[in-house]
Amino acid sequence: MLAFVVRRTLATLVVLLAITILVFLIFFHTPGVDPARKMAGRNPSPATISAIKHAYGLDRPLPVQYVILMKKLFISRDLTSYTNQGELVVPTIVAATPVTLSLVFGAAIIWVVVAVVMGLAAAVLRGTVFDPILMMIALIGISMPVFWLGEMANLITQSRYHDSFLFSWVPPLGYTPFASDPAMWFKHLVIPWLVLSALYIGLYARVLRAELLENEHEDYVRTARAKGLSERRVLLRHTLRTSMITFVSLFGLDFGVLVGGGALLAEVVFGLPGVGLLTYQSLTSLDLPVIMATVIYGAFFIVVVNAMVDVAYAWLDPRVRPA
Amino acid sequence: MNPIRRIRPTRAACIAALAAALAGLLAGCGGSGSSGSSGSSASSGDHRGGTLVLDWNGIGSSIDTAVDYDQNWTLLYMVYDGLVTWKKVGGAEGNTLVPDLATAIPSPTDGGKTYTFTLRKGIEYSNGAPVKASDFVRAIEREFTVPGPVGSFYQGIVGGDACAKTPKTCDLSQGISADNAAGTVTFHLTGPDPDFLQKLALPFAYAVPASTADKEVGPSNPLPATGPYMFDHYTPNQEILLKRNPHFKEWSKDAQPNGYPDEIEVKLSLSTEAEVTQIEQGQADWMYDQPPNDRLNEIANKYPDQVHLNPVPQVFHMALNTRVAPFNDVRVRQAVNYATDRNAIVKAWGGPQLATPTCQILPPDFPGYEPYCPYTTNPGDGKWHGPDLAKARQLIDASGTKGDKIAVICTPDEASKSVCLYFVSLFKQLGYDSSIKVLSAAVEYPYTQDSSNKAQISFSYWYPDYPSGADWFDVVVGCNGFHPNSTASANLSEFCDPKIQAMTEKAIKTSVTDQDAANQQWAAIDKATTDQAPWIALFLPRHVDFLSARVGNYIFDPNVLVGGPLLDQLWVK
Repeated sequence: MLAFVVRRTLATLVVLLAITILVFLIFFHTPGVDPARKMAGRNPSPATISAIKHAYGLDRPLPVQYVILMKKLFISRDLTSYTNQGELVVPTIVAATPVTLSLVFGAAIIWVVVAVVMGLAAAVLRGTVFDPILMMIALIGISMPVFWLGEMANLITQSRYHDSFLFSWVPPLGYTPFASDPAMWFKHLVIPWLVLSALYIGLYARVLRAELLENEHEDYVRTARAKGLSERRVLLRHTLRTSMITFVSLFGLDFGVLVGGGALLAEVVFGLPGVGLLTYQSLTSLDLPVIMATVIYGAFFIVVVNAMVDVAYAWLDPRVRPA
Repeated sequence: MNPIRRIRPTRAACIAALAAALAGLLAGCGGSGSSGSSGSSASSGDHRGGTLVLDWNGIGSSIDTAVDYDQNWTLLYMVYDGLVTWKKVGGAEGNTLVPDLATAIPSPTDGGKTYTFTLRKGIEYSNGAPVKASDFVRAIEREFTVPGPVGSFYQGIVGGDACAKTPKTCDLSQGISADNAAGTVTFHLTGPDPDFLQKLALPFAYAVPASTADKEVGPSNPLPATGPYMFDHYTPNQEILLKRNPHFKEWSKDAQPNGYPDEIEVKLSLSTEAEVTQIEQGQADWMYDQPPNDRLNEIANKYPDQVHLNPVPQVFHMALNTRVAPFNDVRVRQAVNYATDRNAIVKAWGGPQLATPTCQILPPDFPGYEPYCPYTTNPGDGKWHGPDLAKARQLIDASGTKGDKIAVICTPDEASKSVCLYFVSLFKQLGYDSSIKVLSAAVEYPYTQDSSNKAQISFSYWYPDYPSGADWFDVVVGCNGFHPNSTASANLSEFCDPKIQAMTEKAIKTSVTDQDAANQQWAAIDKATTDQAPWIALFLPRHVDFLSARVGNYIFDPNVLVGGPLLDQLWVK
């Protein structure tokens, strides 16, 4: 077990190192990229540019710059943004994290609950007209990209029907921390939650249904039935449990990606100042320190969530537990 | 180049814009709603109070006056003060300098090389400390010692050159003498500078406590304020909140009037689409950004009273690289100028309400502006009438450049792309092998500046820092604006004509003593440069202000620092 953890940690470090070097090199090899030029304002003299380059170490060799960047990010933690040198990167990411976590946790709860209910219902109702209807709804959910659905939701709730009794409660786009006003926090997030979960509900419901149908003919299900268990008990305690294995490993991947910044489009569309929006803005303004920090943050979360999935796996499937 | 468009029109131009705007549905003009407040004082008016909410599709820039270059100036303007400033009124008067923390605007002595200011007494920072003469020395020193823009504005102060070269040992004690007891600040220049007072009005020269360190101040520790507001908190990417400065007492209504709203909140990072919706719903009062073109019809039709259009002293143009084929041949540059259908470009930009065709370098109502347009059918009256394709074809045939490759560089936004696509098809029509090259907005400007990239033609615009011909002809199309192989080279055309440069230097000298004579010289330089065609000058834009229904007292400030309404003069009550 210990060897597994060590191996896994080492692999993670190598991946992180490779990603950061790659991001760093792509950044400096893009033509026209010149952070000093940006800091220098509208019409600087070349002397000003070289003074800034010197002050920020941008005139040093790339490997040295890389090491300085990493040192500032991890050790001294005083890395500052290129677009706003008074802004510290690490606290900015820390401040953005609760927004992303609020968005992704809420959406995850909705999508898991609804997808399990829909998947179960479709499997149970197989052969009736409801199964294809449910799966069609799921397909529609999968087909609608988040940015489009989000803009449509905004169009209806913020603009066209904002004055009607249905949506007059919807606050302006943005975010209120849970600690300062829980009701407002909920109001800000409920539409983003629904929009973000639509895609995953469809996907997960379809996956679960397929798994349930496949497992129905497994030996252990037949055994359970032979023991005289009720259909409901067979379905919920036996078939569903093993069918959740695929569901959970998929969930781990998706959840990790979303927390790691994959909710970018939802955050941009709804003006939620989370890590995704930060990533988006740092990419558009070519703000290397922030890009680097968000990349590392994202990779970290994906790795952590995957480790958690492995544990959940063991709990669901006795076969993978260490003897 | 910059998310907020800065502007400086005059009242006359504004009325002209109004007339043009009436043709469409967009109506309203800067200053039109301003007279209502003129009688009442801000501090005693009924409209005092409330929170003004602004939307800005930016992430927030530095709030250090030594570092920020016009991203946050709209806010810095209400928070900090310098010795002089531009008058806070609408119309052309908004371009006149008035004393701010100084008691009067001094006349230079010593042949234009020495300026002595006397400070107003009793002015305090928001932390209670008094504003002292030595604070201004510190402000200019920090320009050199804090890594960031500038330098060149204040390099003419004695010792400034050395500070620019070696910031670490910067010492301006020879150049600026401050007497805290008498409250006087004296600037000694190495030579006369006609624009020196304008430069002192820029936020770079605003007072900072003499103890301020040589390090940029961040969002968590702003400099203490002198103006009616101070930074309460600032979360980059999220919001900026200004609250009233308890130590502020109005000392000059012209320079720094007290504001109406109790708080000013800036919401950052929203898309321009969301900003428009928020203003429509009354959730925000004004947006820094220009509304997206596809929403203009909607806001013009549904909220005509909340839209204001004002001309701005910007010139949008295609910069032609005069050192790279085929535009190194003046005949080709002139030919594409003749061939360009400026009406088509205006249409691509959003229609005649939002832009007017132009052919020359200087914008209207600028010192030295005389209408001039050689690149049109029926030239003579200075206006553009239509493209002259026959003449263009003749010139291109004579140049023998047909079949050359041309890459038109632009940014990914829809309006820019449509302008560039127009040129791609025009060049094809003229016999060139043309294509479009779209570069991310963050990369495009430095890329086109760097002469080693050999950018042929790019869509760009220019606006001055202050009303002076030198800010055009000595920078954006002048020899001093071209720095080979550097990303700091505002002269995208790489245009440097020794004859015109000599005229420019003469005009700068003339303006020290005789502004009218200098303006005549600027007009001649404008014509000579336009004839050499370093640009295809395209159009003059109009600035769109979209306000919420509850806002009153809209005054369009033509000054470069604001480029929009005087924010703290807006009523939300």
